[in-house]
Amino acid sequence: MRVYLDNATSTKVDDKVLEAMIPFFREYYALPSSQFAHSYGIEVNDRINEAREFIATKLGASSPEEIVFTSGGTEANNFVIKGIAYANIERGKHIIVSSIEHLSIIESARKLQKEGFEVTYLPVDSEGLVDLSILEKSIRDDTVLVSIQVGNHETGTIQNLNAIGNIVKGKGVLFHTDAAIAWPYINLAPSNYGIDLMTISPHKFHGPKGIGILYIKRGTKITKFIDGGFNEFNLRAGSENTPGIIGARKAIETFSEDDVKKIKRLKELLMENIRKDIPDVELNGSEDNALPHILNYTFKYVEGEAISLRLDFEGIAVTTGSACYSRNLQASYILLAMGKTHEESHGSIRFSFSRFNTEEEILYTASKLKEIVEDLRRLSPLGKE
Amino acid sequence: MYPDIVMEHFMHPRNVGKIKNPTSVGEFENEARAKAVFYVVVEDGVVTDIKYQVAGCPFAIAVCSLISEYAKTKRVEELKVFSMDDVKRFFEIPEDKEDCIKLSINAFLNAIIPLT
Repeated sequence: MRVYLDNATSTKVDDKVLEAMIPFFREYYALPSSQFAHSYGIEVNDRINEAREFIATKLGASSPEEIVFTSGGTEANNFVIKGIAYANIERGKHIIVSSIEHLSIIESARKLQKEGFEVTYLPVDSEGLVDLSILEKSIRDDTVLVSIQVGNHETGTIQNLNAIGNIVKGKGVLFHTDAAIAWPYINLAPSNYGIDLMTISPHKFHGPKGIGILYIKRGTKITKFIDGGFNEFNLRAGSENTPGIIGARKAIETFSEDDVKKIKRLKELLMENIRKDIPDVELNGSEDNALPHILNYTFKYVEGEAISLRLDFEGIAVTTGSACYSRNLQASYILLAMGKTHEESHGSIRFSFSRFNTEEEILYTASKLKEIVEDLRRLSPLGKE
Repeated sequence: MYPDIVMEHFMHPRNVGKIKNPTSVGEFENEARAKAVFYVVVEDGVVTDIKYQVAGCPFAIAVCSLISEYAKTKRVEELKVFSMDDVKRFFEIPEDKEDCIKLSINAFLNAIIPLT
C-alpha cells in the first residue's frame, strides 16, 4: 500500500483542476496582457478576469484588483515583506514577524535587517501561540508591518487572528498573514480580521504548483516586486501563468467543507491509534486549536529520519523535524521556538492529510508506525533505565 | 540518497543489544542528542564479541552495524585508528551525514581506545 501523508508539503492535483487547465496550454495560450493586440488575448483575458473575480468573491474582497497572482507562496511572502518595507520607509523601518513563520518570511526579514531595517521576531509559547501582550508592546511608532501566520506548517497550531488583528489595526499598522498552509482549510475572509495582505498557495489544496495568490487590500502601499511589463496592476511583471491561475480557481471551487470534515476524522483516527498503541509520545502543537490536516508527534527515544525512512519502506510518506535530517544538525527552528528541546525534536514526525487519504490508509499507517517505533526503541540506548 | 549497503544494514542491523559483562563500554552523544553505545569483549587483544545500542538516523544505525561486523575478530591495536576513511571503503559519505557517522565511530573508539 502507498500512503501519502506529506500533504503539507504539496498535494495531488485534482483531476478536475487538471482538466480545467489543459485548454490553457492548447487553445487559450495567448497572454491576457495581449488583450489590446488580438482576439486570442481577449479570450484569455476574459477567462483570467473571471477567475480573479471568482477568487475575490470567495475571499470577500471588495474588488478583483485586490487579487494579485505570483509564482507561489514564497514569492508572495517575499513581495509582502520587502514590498511593504520599501514602500513605507518614510513611516518607519521596523517590522514584526513571529519566530515560527515560513522561511520565505524569516529570510526576507533577515535580508531587510542587512539593509538597515529593524525586525522583531515574536516568541511563541509551548503550543506555538504568539504572546499577544508581547506583540502589543513590540509595536512602535516606526512599525510598518506585522506578519503573523494563520496556522503553522509543521505543528498546525492556529493563531488567535481576531485578537492579533484587533491589536495591529488598533495601532494603525499593516497586517499580513501567511495563509499558505491554512487556507481554505480555515476558510477566512481577510476583511473580517483586519488583514491587509494574505498569502494563499493553491498547490496545498490540490491546485497546481507555480501559482500563488496574494490578497492586497485596496490602497495598501507596496513596491512593485518584479520589474518589467505592467502585468498584475503594475505590481508584478512577467507573463501570467494562465493555466496556473485557472487551476487555482478550480482548486478553490472543488474544495469543500466536507473535505475538511473528512480530513479531520482521519487525523483524529491516527491520533487515537497512536495514543492507544504507542507509549512515550508527545503531541507537538495544540490539540484543540490546530489545522485539521496537520499532526505532529514526537516519538521519544528514537530519531525521526529513521522512523520516516522505515515508513517510506512500507510505502508511507511523512516528514521529520529531526536535526539529523537537516543540513546543519539543527532541529526544526519551529519546535525549538516552542521551547522543545533537541531531545524532543529528535523523534518528531509530521503527518499531513488530504481528501484523497482513506481510513484504511490511516489504520495501515498506525499499525506500521507501532511496529517501527517498537523496533527502533529496541535498538535505542535511551529511556529504558 | 541512501547507498544500498546503508539501507541493508539500517533495515537489518546486525549485533544489536547489550553485553552483560563487557571488557569495555564506550558511548557518544552529539549536539542533536543522537546517542550510540558500544559494548566489547576483548580476549588476548582481540575483539571476540561486540554489540551496540543506537538512537540515531539511518546512517548512524547502519554504521554501528557495519562497525560491529568489521571489528569482530580484529585486534584492538588495529581498531584504535578506525576512522571516517574506513567507513568510506564501504560507501561514499554524503557531506550532510558526516556528523551522524562520527557519532557511531566516536562511540566505538570510546570503547576501544581505553583498552590500548
